[in-house]
Amino acid sequence: MRVVIAEDSALLREGLARILTEGGFDVVAQAANAEELHDAVRRRKPDIAVVDVRMPPTHTDEGARAARELRETHPDVGVLILSQVVEAAHALALFSEQPEGFGYLLKDRVLEIDDFLDAVRRVGHGGTAIDPQVIAQLLGRRREHEPLGELTPREREVLGLMAEGLSNHGICERLVISPKTVETHVNSIFLKLGLLPAADDHRRVLAVLAFLRS
Amino acid sequence: MQAPYIRVVAVLTGIALGLVAYHIQIDNLGSTSFRATLTVVSAWAFLAAGIATWSRRPGNRLGPLMVAAGFALLARQLRYSHDSLAFTTFFALGEVGYALVAHSALAYPSGRVIDRAGRLFLMCMYATVLAFPLATLLVHDSGDTLRYFDPVPRESLLLVSGRTDLAGFLQDAYAVASACLAAAFIGLVARRLWQATPRARRILAPLLLATVVAALWAFYSSVVVFTTRPPRLLVENVFWWQIVALTALPITLFAGLVRARLAHASIGDLVLKLENTPPRGIRDALARALGDPTLDVAFWLPERREFVDGDGRTVTVPPDGHERAVTQLEQGGEPLAALVHDPTLRDEPQLLEAACAAARLALENGRLHAEVQAQLAKVKDSRARLVAAADEQRRRIERDLHDGAQQRLVALALELKSAERGLGRNADHDVEQILAAAAQEVQIAVEELRELASGIHPGILTQGGLAFALDALATKAPVPVTVNAELERLQPEIEATAYFVAAEALTNIAKHSQAAKASIKASLESGKLVIEVADDGIGGAVVAGGSGLRGLADRVEARGGRLRIDSPPGGGTCVVGEIPCES
Repeated sequence: MRVVIAEDSALLREGLARILTEGGFDVVAQAANAEELHDAVRRRKPDIAVVDVRMPPTHTDEGARAARELRETHPDVGVLILSQVVEAAHALALFSEQPEGFGYLLKDRVLEIDDFLDAVRRVGHGGTAIDPQVIAQLLGRRREHEPLGELTPREREVLGLMAEGLSNHGICERLVISPKTVETHVNSIFLKLGLLPAADDHRRVLAVLAFLRS
Repeated sequence: MQAPYIRVVAVLTGIALGLVAYHIQIDNLGSTSFRATLTVVSAWAFLAAGIATWSRRPGNRLGPLMVAAGFALLARQLRYSHDSLAFTTFFALGEVGYALVAHSALAYPSGRVIDRAGRLFLMCMYATVLAFPLATLLVHDSGDTLRYFDPVPRESLLLVSGRTDLAGFLQDAYAVASACLAAAFIGLVARRLWQATPRARRILAPLLLATVVAALWAFYSSVVVFTTRPPRLLVENVFWWQIVALTALPITLFAGLVRARLAHASIGDLVLKLENTPPRGIRDALARALGDPTLDVAFWLPERREFVDGDGRTVTVPPDGHERAVTQLEQGGEPLAALVHDPTLRDEPQLLEAACAAARLALENGRLHAEVQAQLAKVKDSRARLVAAADEQRRRIERDLHDGAQQRLVALALELKSAERGLGRNADHDVEQILAAAAQEVQIAVEELRELASGIHPGILTQGGLAFALDALATKAPVPVTVNAELERLQPEIEATAYFVAAEALTNIAKHSQAAKASIKASLESGKLVIEVADDGIGGAVVAGGSGLRGLADRVEARGGRLRIDSPPGGGTCVVGEIPCES
C-alpha cells in the first residue's frame, strides 16, 4: 500500500516512515507542509495520506484544510489526520463531508504501533478510523434519554470499537473473543438501540456514529 | 430724537397715502373694494415692517428700504388717476416700487447688497422699471387703453406723437423684461442660498418667499401679455396669491431679523442652562444659544499640547477661514478651548463674546472632564494591550508545547518502540522491558504535556476554532449543554475571549447553579461577537470582587466589550458577553 506522510517535524516524519516501512507499507513521499503534500499526492498517487493537522505557516489547521481539499480533488485517496488534540465535534465535522477512507487519530496513537498500522490499512482500503477518545466523548455525552444505559459493559466496548471503524474480525482480535461472540454482541446492540443491521462495515460505522451524535 | 419724528411722519403719510390710493382704485379704476383693500394692505405691510425694522435696527438700511418700497407701492396706485399730471408722474415712477421690493430682499439681512451680480441686477432693474413706462408715455395716445387700465382715456403730458402700435409693443416688451428680471432674481437668491453656510441659510430662509413673489409676478405678467384671452379664474388666482405673498414678504424679513436678534436673549438662558449641564452637554447648549448646529468645541490639553473633544479624543482644529471660523478662548495666556463655528457668527461679535463669557466656567470644567477621559482612554488602551499580550503569550506557549516538545517526545517514544520491536527476535528480556517502560514513561509525559498545554490555551481553539471549542466544552460539562454556534474563524484573541466566557460560565453552572441543563449560543451581530450561556438553575449569580465573573468582565471589557449577567434568584442564570470584532 502506497503512503504519503505530511508532517512538519522531521524527527517524527522519519519515525513514522520507519514504522510504516517496517509494517510493510510503501512510503512513496514525505511532505513538510500542505503544498508539498498536494504535490506529492498529485505525482505519486498514493492509497493514503497521513497528515499532521498543524503545519506551517500558522500551525493552526493547515493540515485539516489540506486534507479537506485532498478529499475533494482526490476522493479515492484515503486521509488519516493526526491531531495534537481530539474533539468529537471537530472530528465529525471533518468526517461527515465524505466518510469513505477517513481517519482521525490523536497523534500519540502512533505509539500503539500495531493498532496504528491497522488503522492506516483500514483507511487506505476506504474504511474508517476514529480515535477512541472521540468515541469515548460521544459515549459519555450527557443525554436527556439514555438508551446506552441498556447496554452491558461488554456491549458498550464492542459499540465503541465499531464506531472506531473496526470490522468484526478486528473486534475479535482486539478483545480476544470468538467471531460468534462478536456477532451476538453486535446483533444485541443493534436490537437495543433500534438500529437496522448494516450491510457492510462501512455502513455500520455511519449508522453507529449517526446514532451517537444525535 | 430725529428718527422717531421721521417715523411718526412716515406712519401718518402712509395712512393718508393709503386712503388716497384706495379711493383712486375704487373711483378711477373700478376695482372692487376687496381688491383695493388688499393692494393697500400689502403696501402697508412693507411700510409697517420697514418702520419696525428701522426702530429695532437703526443702523441697518433695510428699514428705510422697506419703508420706501411701501411708499412706492402705494404711490403706484396714483397712476390710475384721471388727472393727467398724476397719471403722467406716477405712471413714470410707480414701477420703482417693484425694484425697491427686490432691493429689500437682496439687501436682507445686512441692509447692503455686497455682491457684484446683485448690484448689477439692481441697476438693470431700476433702469428697466423707469425706462419702459417713460418711453410708453412718449407715444401713448389718449384714446388707447393701457394694460391693466380701465377704458377711460388718460392723457400723457409727455406725449410726443401718438403711436398705438409702438405703445402696445413697449408694454409687451416691458412685461417680457419683467419676467426676465424675475428669473434673474430667483437665480441670484438660489445662488446665495446654495453658497450659504448652514447657519446663514437659516437666516436667509425668508428669501425663499421673495422668490415665490418674483415667480408669481413673472407668471402674472406673461399670462396677461401672451394669452389673447387669459382664463379669468387663473389670472384672478395668481393675482391674489401674488398679493398674499407680497404682503407676507416684509413680515418674514422683519421676523428673520428679529430672530437673529433673539439669539442675544438666549445667552441669559445659556448661563442658567450651563449650571445644570454635564460636560458632554456644553457643545449642544452653546450650539443652541448661537443658533449654529455645526458648532464644535475643542479643549486644549496642556500636557499633550493638542486639542481633544469632550471624550478626550484628539481632534484637529481647522484653520480660521471661509469654511469654518475659529474662536479661541484663553486662560492665563494658555489656550483653554476653541470654538469651531459658522463664519457668519463673525458678523455678531457681541453674541459670540457673550456666549464665550457665559460658557467659560463650564468650558473649564469640560476641559478637566476631557483630560480625565483622555487619561481613562490611555489606561483602557494599555489594559487592552496587556490582556492581548498575555493572550498572545498563552497561545504561543501552547503552540510551542504542541509543535516542539510534544512532537519530540512522540518521536522519541516511537524510537523506543521501534527499538523494542527490533529487539523482539533477539529476546533480551531485560532490555526489552527497560525499553517498554521508557516508552511508557514518555507516553505519559506526552499526555501530561497535552493536559498542561490545554490548561494554558485550549488546543482545539487553535486547531478547530470557537465553534468546535464550544462543542468540546459542552461535551465535558456535567449537565447536558446544547450548543448553537455557526461561526467562521475569527481573530484568535476574540475567539479566546469568547471561549473563556463560556468556560467560566460553565464552571459556575457546574459549581453553583444546580441546573439540569444549559445552552451556549454564539453569533455575530452587527460587528460584535455575542456569546450567551444560559442555564435553568437557581440564579442569584453576581459579579462580585474576586469572583470568576469579575475577572471575566475585566477580560471582556479590556477588549472593548461588555459582560452582562442576568441571574434573578430562582430564575436561572444568563451570562452574555459582547466582544467587538473588526472584520
